[in-house]
Amino acid sequence: MDGDELVRDYLGRLEAASWPLPPGRRTELAGEVREHIDTALAEAGRRDTVTVHNVLERPGRPEEIVATEAEIEPESSRWIDARVSGVAATVSAWGMIEIAAILLLSVGAFLLPLVGPAIGLVLVWYSSRWTTREKLIATVIVLVVFILPIVGLLSAGGLSQG
Amino acid sequence: MVHGDTRNPLTELRRGVLEHCVLAVVRDRESYAFDIVRVLASAGELVTSEGTIYPLLSRLRRDHLVTTTWRESDAGPPRRYYLITDEGRRALDAFAGDWARFRDAVDALLGGGARGGDPDGR
Repeated sequence: MDGDELVRDYLGRLEAASWPLPPGRRTELAGEVREHIDTALAEAGRRDTVTVHNVLERPGRPEEIVATEAEIEPESSRWIDARVSGVAATVSAWGMIEIAAILLLSVGAFLLPLVGPAIGLVLVWYSSRWTTREKLIATVIVLVVFILPIVGLLSAGGLSQG
Repeated sequence: MVHGDTRNPLTELRRGVLEHCVLAVVRDRESYAFDIVRVLASAGELVTSEGTIYPLLSRLRRDHLVTTTWRESDAGPPRRYYLITDEGRRALDAFAGDWARFRDAVDALLGGGARGGDPDGR
């Protein structure tokens, strides 16, 4: 990695570490640290790898900066608590409903044609783990792959009998 | 300000006093963050990781203990300059009194402890 890549890598780590912060504060903090690095590099007068390594040592680890923010800024601390507990709640919701939905949509489609995928879709929409976008994608896939062909076959069979 | 060394008494002390040391730096003249860090570092023992100054400056801004002004820089992007407010000055004065009493109390105990703890029992 050259000097510029090292700086980008550091700022990327800061961006990743600061994800639970309030969005405005996250942007502001990134700007402040970037300015700090730019000023230190301008003072050093060089941007070779060794100089950049030394400059990036000075602000400390990104995780440390974010931890300090959480310690002393009540608003950031509240955001972090809320975001982390939100993730925990989402992860904990990954349970029997989601597993049953996936089984019904996959194996269930062959064991219980029409009924299996239909119940699976109900469970998909009942789940709090998946986003609306994910649920819509699952619905379209199920309709296209499982249900529409079967309905089409049934219709074709009905027409040929008629 | 590292989670792993929270039991280090110097870390705890630093955390407790750093806010007011920053106020002292911007008491008489406007400074930008990098310059504040430089002054704190030159005093010794006050800053371990320079980046951790930014959450502190953010809190000082929010608590109206400092005002900020953006100014063009000769080298690089505009810089945010910090200056103490009247409220910040009052907080700093109060801390200066508290600190003097605290320091004297600790010095007295440490001085007495050193005499009492003479390993030769003299």
